[in-house]
Amino acid sequence: MSERMPGFGAPHLTALNEGYWKAAGQGRLVIQRCDDCGTHRHVPVEICYQCHSRNWHWDEVPGTGRVFSYTWVDRPLSPELAQAGVYNISVVELDGVVGTIRLLTNVFGVDKDTLECDLPVKVAFDRVDDEIALPVFEPAFALNEAERVSAGKVSA
Amino acid sequence: MTQDEWLKGKAAVVGIGHTAYGRRGQFVERGSFSLVIEAVQKACDDAGIDPRDIDGWTSYSNDVNQGGLLAAAFGTKRLRFTGMGWGGGGGAMGGAYLYAAMAVATGQADYVAVVRGVTMPDNGRFGRMGTTEGPPYGLMTPGQAFALAARRHMYRFGTTTDDFAQIAINARLMASKNPDARFRDTITLEDHHNSPIICDPLHKLDFCMESEFGTCVILTSAERAKDLKQPPVSLLSAAMGAPPRWGDAMFGGWGGGDENVGGQYAPDDDYVTGGHRTVAEDLYAKAGLGPNDVDVAEIYDHFTPMVIMGIEDFQFCKKGEGGGFVSDGKIGLGPGQLPLNTHGGNLAEVYAHGMTHVFEAVRQIRGTSYNQVPDAEVALVVAGASMAPTSAMLFGK
Repeated sequence: MSERMPGFGAPHLTALNEGYWKAAGQGRLVIQRCDDCGTHRHVPVEICYQCHSRNWHWDEVPGTGRVFSYTWVDRPLSPELAQAGVYNISVVELDGVVGTIRLLTNVFGVDKDTLECDLPVKVAFDRVDDEIALPVFEPAFALNEAERVSAGKVSA
Repeated sequence: MTQDEWLKGKAAVVGIGHTAYGRRGQFVERGSFSLVIEAVQKACDDAGIDPRDIDGWTSYSNDVNQGGLLAAAFGTKRLRFTGMGWGGGGGAMGGAYLYAAMAVATGQADYVAVVRGVTMPDNGRFGRMGTTEGPPYGLMTPGQAFALAARRHMYRFGTTTDDFAQIAINARLMASKNPDARFRDTITLEDHHNSPIICDPLHKLDFCMESEFGTCVILTSAERAKDLKQPPVSLLSAAMGAPPRWGDAMFGGWGGGDENVGGQYAPDDDYVTGGHRTVAEDLYAKAGLGPNDVDVAEIYDHFTPMVIMGIEDFQFCKKGEGGGFVSDGKIGLGPGQLPLNTHGGNLAEVYAHGMTHVFEAVRQIRGTSYNQVPDAEVALVVAGASMAPTSAMLFGK
């Protein structure tokens, strides 16, 4: 579990989305999935964009993926956020789903030299309270130089 | 004529008007309703019509200055039409013009005023979104959201921040000739390098600045337009829309609220766009024209990378080649160059959510621009890269 950064708000729970945040509170990453055609979708919405079924369930997914894009917020908007220093907002594309699922998230354990598009990542959970947590991500492997070279992330 | 081209040339811009362009907070005490009223009066003077004859009003971005209230203020004889384009940002601007054109072309109204006015108390801070307590992952501004698109574009195509700088340099160069512009000092690549990073990869000079303004453009049927004060500027085409799963675009995924739908899930090839791929196809088809017919392009420039993506989306070069296009000297007023944002755009003239891009297209076709393109016959206006719908227009003689 990581420490929450100051200034980051808690999600607003609704009847439709609370299963996502509560599963994260139990250390599981779940994505809404159509009962009928099996397509995943996110953020939660009442209807499947592929087959228009309104029947769905929460499906636990592997929680691995790759960084699709990111930005480093060098100038945070609020004094509370500024306490956290420079932070990243990242988009992670998940493995093991039907259709494209990308999560808006933060990647922990990286800096400006190590966060990059296509970096393999795995889910972690940033606790909000006793009940819920935020899915965040961290590198799927250690980011020391030797491993980055062996993973083909940098040239030897 | 194909069915697609039905609306081509049936409506025309006959008047444009605007207030002085202010910094954030400058016109707080007046309020945006007062600014819009001044802009409408000036547009009517430009057109040579009585404001009471405006019987239709449209706007976009949930503008607070409602057509029904403006009609009452002006003593409109017979209000007949209003229309509002959904969505934040400047995305639906072309929709407001499309409603206006359809209304006058089909006899639903005689004169439609497209209005947009902003002061901060009416609208809150621009460039900020999300909940009061802060969204869970710290995505709080459009700049941060578009930085995600910019970063992906850099990763896929090798686009650089120096390419982004060329858009800002061009905007300041054009604004240096425009007496209404807020930022008239020219800048260099070194200035861009020295400009502080706000959200990597975007520097401060990649951002437009919050502004206060009132703006108005009046459209009428091509037939009525012939008898008015100004040479008519014909609306050749207007299109609005978005590619599949565009939705909330880069704002989606619990960035700004609970109801973001679509969002971060657009296909990779659409993610690195302003959401304009399908709009561009429809726009050109409805005019029977293509990118080679465009003499001047006014592309919404809230953030510099989105202009590079706009150049690609509207087919001035292939997808991914926009960075090279702007850095290899292909934009400018010289022979063989694409004249771009010839008023200075959002970046340097005023952030009026695209309305001044329309003003400039009208001036170019009238032949009265501060940076006149010789014999300009077709002007492209691209509305904001934003959530769905986005939009665009072609104007001509």
